[in-house]
Amino acid sequence: MNLLKLDKATIKFGGLIAVNEVSFEINKGDLFGLIGPNGAGKTTCFNLITGVYKPTSGQISFDGRDITGTPANKIANLGIARTFQNIRLFKSMSVLENVVTAGYLRHKTSMASAFFYLPSAIKENEQLKEEAMKLLEVVDLAHVADVRSCDLAYGMQRRLEIARAMATQPQLLLLDEPAAGMNPQEKEELNAMVKKIRDHHNMTVLLIEHDMRFVMSLCEKIFVLDHGEEICFGPPEKVRNDPKVIAAYLGEAV
Amino acid sequence: MKFLATRVLSILAAIGFSFLVQKLAEGQDSFTQQLLVLASLYVTLSVSLNLINGITGQFSIGHAAFYQVGAYAAAYCGTAFYPNWHGSPVVWLLLMLVVGGIVAAIAGFIVGLPSLRLKGDYLAVVTMGFGEIVRIVVQNQKVLGESGGLSVHPHLQQIWVVVLLAILCIALCRNLQITAHGLPFLAVREDEVASAAMGVNVTKTKVIAFVLGSGFAGAAGAAYALQLGAINPDLFRMDQSFIILTMVVLGGTGSVTGSVLAALLLFYIPEKMRDLSDVRLSVLVSILISVGFAVAAVRYVINNVHKPIKVRAAYYAGITAVTAVVITILGKILQLVPAFQTSVEGGKLRLVVFAGVLIVLMLIRPEGIFAHHEFSWDWLLSPLKKKRTKLPGVSA
Repeated sequence: MNLLKLDKATIKFGGLIAVNEVSFEINKGDLFGLIGPNGAGKTTCFNLITGVYKPTSGQISFDGRDITGTPANKIANLGIARTFQNIRLFKSMSVLENVVTAGYLRHKTSMASAFFYLPSAIKENEQLKEEAMKLLEVVDLAHVADVRSCDLAYGMQRRLEIARAMATQPQLLLLDEPAAGMNPQEKEELNAMVKKIRDHHNMTVLLIEHDMRFVMSLCEKIFVLDHGEEICFGPPEKVRNDPKVIAAYLGEAV
Repeated sequence: MKFLATRVLSILAAIGFSFLVQKLAEGQDSFTQQLLVLASLYVTLSVSLNLINGITGQFSIGHAAFYQVGAYAAAYCGTAFYPNWHGSPVVWLLLMLVVGGIVAAIAGFIVGLPSLRLKGDYLAVVTMGFGEIVRIVVQNQKVLGESGGLSVHPHLQQIWVVVLLAILCIALCRNLQITAHGLPFLAVREDEVASAAMGVNVTKTKVIAFVLGSGFAGAAGAAYALQLGAINPDLFRMDQSFIILTMVVLGGTGSVTGSVLAALLLFYIPEKMRDLSDVRLSVLVSILISVGFAVAAVRYVINNVHKPIKVRAAYYAGITAVTAVVITILGKILQLVPAFQTSVEGGKLRLVVFAGVLIVLMLIRPEGIFAHHEFSWDWLLSPLKKKRTKLPGVSA
């Protein structure tokens, strides 16, 4: 059964149609790539899925449930987490706190128990911290757990974004240009990490990326957007040789 | 068991401290007592505003309005229901704190729910407008005494209550900060879009902070009314909101200990200045100039934390020496000039000094005394330590 389904999702900003009748399905366990030239509407697609924008028309369903127009925080609770293209960490908070904040949506004790510092709240606090530390080990950031997140190096900030998204324990993980600004070696490590996340943490991954080599070697299915419309969909081999994709990226022959 | 024991002990300690303050204050004159009450109330107000402005990042400048709502709730209840009250007056006082808190919290909810969708400056304008609306409405209501105000029954001077209220407010904010439940508040301050994507209900979080903050301001207002015995709308003018806001910003937005310290500083400095003796103009000018030197030197130390410890220590010593030398020598020289021989009345300088302290602190530490941090001895000594803790792994 499909995990996420977009059915003719469309969003217009005034006269601009940013995403036009885009439909695709993602199955459980997929490594799904969303590519396209700048301004194609990839991030807008993410914003539609995660509830930042409400689609003008069309339907989005997750795990058999209609989530069109559901607020962002409820979507996170349903099991979709994301990272951001232009890193949006909680800057003045520590690395650990960033991850614990995301894990907080699974809290069970009431706010009142925190105000009176009851044992239940203390215990839960410890538990969330432990879980967060485990995730930091996955992304190799455990040694900087107490550093302010804005003091981290760029590549580390990107990895922290992934750890923070994973802390919500999502079924579907959306990565918005995770490899942007990374050097070849870091990209290699990221590639292995994303595969590990999919295999060991049972998450389905949908990612946007510009680096073709990275996408082609990582993703099993690729969806290509241009000017808000689908131009190609299929496995990497098919996408690589599709004339429309080549035209979109390199410009058409005169 | 261990939890229960420590908890009971800490509560007893808080109550014991409050009564100790009360006992010590009883020997003093009524002016000192009044100062103590006001200082505790300002601590409560700034810590509660810090929950809204600092921790949750919602720029509210209408805190005096909630303070006023609480005060008037207590005063009105006193007139209407106290004659039929048969319990002890102290119980009534505690009851009024709760009533004032709840009424102000409801007001906070009504204002907060629609306006917290606004951001930054817009929210500031709405809360400021609310503050003025409350004051003007009260000024024109016969039941609330118009501009003449209300006298409050019973008039109870119980210092321990206000001290305890301040401790309670600090304790709750601190508990929130050190558990995971406080993180969503910080997250909302840092980035609303990202916190929503991580499952934080942004509006709910803001409203909780606003309701709690205004509730505490209301309780403080009720305590104020009963301590003072009579209230009028002029006590809750907009400048009150601004002073509370200044305390929060000066202490470091988000820092509870910073708010406490700044509240005490900003309250006591102008008050203590009242009985300052006359100052010679020559001395005044030399003090001003040496403050300039000191600011420049402190800024140098701050900007050069990587320099060897000896250099920084030398600068610390240098600041003190230069300041002392400038004050004495320049004072003596200026005294020879006839124009500088006149004196200035010390009491009139208090607002000047108040403004001066603000300017100096903003020059040296624009992020507030404690910035986002809490007080710790390590932090205090860090500029003098050999090396700042280096970030592990970042250099790689």
